[in-house]
Amino acid sequence: MRSGIFLAGLFIAALFYPLIFPNLLSIAIYFLLLAGWATSWDILGGWAGQVSLGHAAFVGVGSYALAILAGRYGIAPWWGALAGMALSAALAWVWGLVTFRLRGPYFTLSTIAIAEILRLVAIEEAWLTQGAEGIFIFSLKSPFGFDLFDRQVEYYTALLYLAAVVGLVAWLARGKLGYQMRAVREDENSSQAAGIDPTRIKLIAFMLSGALTALGGAIYGVYLSYLEPHDIFFLPLSVQIALTAIIGGRGTPFGPLAGAFLLVVAAEVFRNAFAEANLLIYGVLIVLVVIFLPRGLIGSWQHRAVRRRYARSARG
Amino acid sequence: MHAALEAEGIVVQFGGLVAVNDITLSLDEGEIFGLIGPNGAGKTTLFNALTGYAPMRRGKVSLFGEDITQLPAFVRARLGIGRTFQIERPFEELTVLENVLIPAFLHRARRSDAERVAWDALEQAGIADRAHQPSADLNLARRRRLELAKALSLKPKVLFLDELMAGLNPPALAEMIGFVRTLTKSGLAVLMVEHIMKAVVELCDHVMVLASGERIAEGSPEQVTNDPKVIEAYLGDSDEPGDR
Amino acid sequence: METAVALLQNISGGILIGGVYALVGTGLSLIFGVMRVINFAHGEFLAVGMYLALVGHAAFGLEPYLAMLLVAPLGFFVAFSIERLVLSRLVDSPEQSTLLATLGLALILSNALLLLFGAEPKTMYVSYATATVNLGRVTLSIPLLLAGFVATMIILALYLFLTKTEPGRAVRATAENRLGAELVGINTLAVHSVVFGLGSLIAMAAGFVLMPLLFAIPTVGAGFTLKAFVVTVLGGMGSISGAIGGGLVLGLAEVLGASYLSTGYRDAYGLIAFLAVLLLRPEGLFGRTIKRV
Ligand SMILES: Nc1ncnc2c1ncn2[C@@H]1O[C@H](COP(=O)(O)OP(=O)(O)O)[C@@H](O)[C@H]1O
Ligand SMILES: [Mg+2]
Repeated sequence: MRSGIFLAGLFIAALFYPLIFPNLLSIAIYFLLLAGWATSWDILGGWAGQVSLGHAAFVGVGSYALAILAGRYGIAPWWGALAGMALSAALAWVWGLVTFRLRGPYFTLSTIAIAEILRLVAIEEAWLTQGAEGIFIFSLKSPFGFDLFDRQVEYYTALLYLAAVVGLVAWLARGKLGYQMRAVREDENSSQAAGIDPTRIKLIAFMLSGALTALGGAIYGVYLSYLEPHDIFFLPLSVQIALTAIIGGRGTPFGPLAGAFLLVVAAEVFRNAFAEANLLIYGVLIVLVVIFLPRGLIGSWQHRAVRRRYARSARG
Repeated sequence: MHAALEAEGIVVQFGGLVAVNDITLSLDEGEIFGLIGPNGAGKTTLFNALTGYAPMRRGKVSLFGEDITQLPAFVRARLGIGRTFQIERPFEELTVLENVLIPAFLHRARRSDAERVAWDALEQAGIADRAHQPSADLNLARRRRLELAKALSLKPKVLFLDELMAGLNPPALAEMIGFVRTLTKSGLAVLMVEHIMKAVVELCDHVMVLASGERIAEGSPEQVTNDPKVIEAYLGDSDEPGDR
Repeated sequence: METAVALLQNISGGILIGGVYALVGTGLSLIFGVMRVINFAHGEFLAVGMYLALVGHAAFGLEPYLAMLLVAPLGFFVAFSIERLVLSRLVDSPEQSTLLATLGLALILSNALLLLFGAEPKTMYVSYATATVNLGRVTLSIPLLLAGFVATMIILALYLFLTKTEPGRAVRATAENRLGAELVGINTLAVHSVVFGLGSLIAMAAGFVLMPLLFAIPTVGAGFTLKAFVVTVLGGMGSISGAIGGGLVLGLAEVLGASYLSTGYRDAYGLIAFLAVLLLRPEGLFGRTIKRV
């Protein structure tokens, strides 16, 4: 409850950000997208417990769907984004049907393999994607006269995206699906005893997760306005999305958001020292988190808060 | 009128080992059916076969006359088969209430309705006072109660209890026997695997004895405990009935 | 006739590169078999090996093969220390924790290489870089032959170590049953550290032998990590003989697929085989594995 008010406050503050820092929009957009992706990833990885290292594939499907539909057929970007989401959900469904019988780490390995195969497809099938050459997004329909290539418009779009994803996850977490996902993550046999079909729940989580990641991908595509398979279907991007959520705290509504904030700020602070080697921070933080805070930052804090609250109530 | 649960000629095999061999049983509403036998007799395996967790070689299971042999475990749960696990499996990252909420959601999609069902189950299993405790922190007796509450909040018609009493101290045991006794008042059928003879004698209407996957005796608790075959089956086993 | 020669040419190339893949996979399989660690940093150790060869060559004018012998203790020590510092704290954690920790180590290693050596590809010139030898009408590159040969020798040495020496028996006992090994007085934590050092050293050796054939970039590791997983899954996780078979299958699949199907999908053939085996035959192509998926 209190965290809800806190987040609403943050959201309102974020509305004024472009007025205060008009020159720092790019990094803010990047933060909003990373936070949105990590929160989307977490539906599958944190709530349903299936760690994917292939989510860049959904960023790719989302951005390419928008770019191809807009570039070739002049279809409005919002329909393109919707198509990307639908395609991603379908992809996740097939992907999950094939791989969900694999246990833990083998599932993770299979996600890398599938995402890599999709990257090769994006490079090789030039008739569709223009291959390694890449694809430009140069004109888009303007909703209500807004220029989608304007950084301010992109900022607010990304902010809405993040707010919608976090809001959705926070809402899901309290309800039936949220608990069913947690049950499947904790113990598949016990969840069957509670009448839950684990495969179905994992598929729903994967489809939601993929579709929401693709929506962020569509916004990212417009933001970049130039897509290259090597950048978009990029294994390090998959790793980044997953680690952001894990460092922040898996299976918590606000953990991935906190993780994204920490990582983007850290990357900025060390930008001069590390330049392109910015994934070094991810590496160091994930090793520290695994050893010292296995539930992630927010996860560990929440875990302790539940115990403290219970201890207080038990005392009197 | 169909029996609540009927099983005919159940056979379960693991490789060359026949863990359950041609077991037939039937259980009516409101009845408590006891399944006893030395360790490794195949009791848990029979439970798993009936509830959908172990693949059956042969046999047929029906619930109120409906054939459920081919159905996966979660569908059997939805149709009214509740169970506890011999090795308790709470959802450790969740509190007691949240654990019980999960099966409660099966029939109630709204959280407030599901919570009401969950609270009822917590009361019935005597663990409502711990509702907000993280389930990983519970002691053995409370983990067992949580296990029972989870099964109850599914609102089952047939309940399988796998050694729910094992390891409990006398007061906790007496309480647990009390909880189980009240369950059948509403017509629930209970199938229980139990080593504790006190619980078997006090609760069960009918008892079957299993050894090495075979049915070796069946009858009232008194008949069975006086059966020489049963005494013999237990002699080779350190795990005497009633000594825990 | 021409097509037959081309086929032979492809097959011999596939077998040789497959030997190197087998070497990479052997290291990963050793680590998995003993430690149950899904090691995402394996390819990064290969990259470290490439740069060590480069430094050895540039600083002392050493052949990569000579450099290998001289720098091996250093490489072993680095991997050994990393195990002590990070993985040894996670022995009883879930598989997923060690997976994430090694993923973190991979990022640390590749980005450290990036900071030290920059992003530009680096090559090493050896006098025999383009030398070839003819076997009938089949032409083989000398560096590739050497790579295949050295890979075979190292795998053989590892096999002899594991089967014929006392420490090797301790390693196998630990792989078989860690608790049992502890009971007969084996310090299994020390075995873990040594095995991680050895397995990673094997990856570095693969980096050395590949150096005359490829160029080094800091991000080269991730691709090899993936290949190493393909090899071990094809052969059955934790099995060394399986890794040899898996390496050869991958080498042949890549070379033949690239020649007869499509060059661009070269890296996809192994991945598709990997998924197929993972899903259909989790025990690997060649029989038993220690643990079912
Ligand atoms: N999944 C399994 N795979 C192989 N053997 C099993 C499996 N589960 C149980 N068994 C074997 O089946 C027999 C019966 O076990 P179980 O049903 O657990 O006995 P009980 O519950 O009566 O003590 C034992 O010999 C046990 O080792
Ligand atoms: Mg049992």
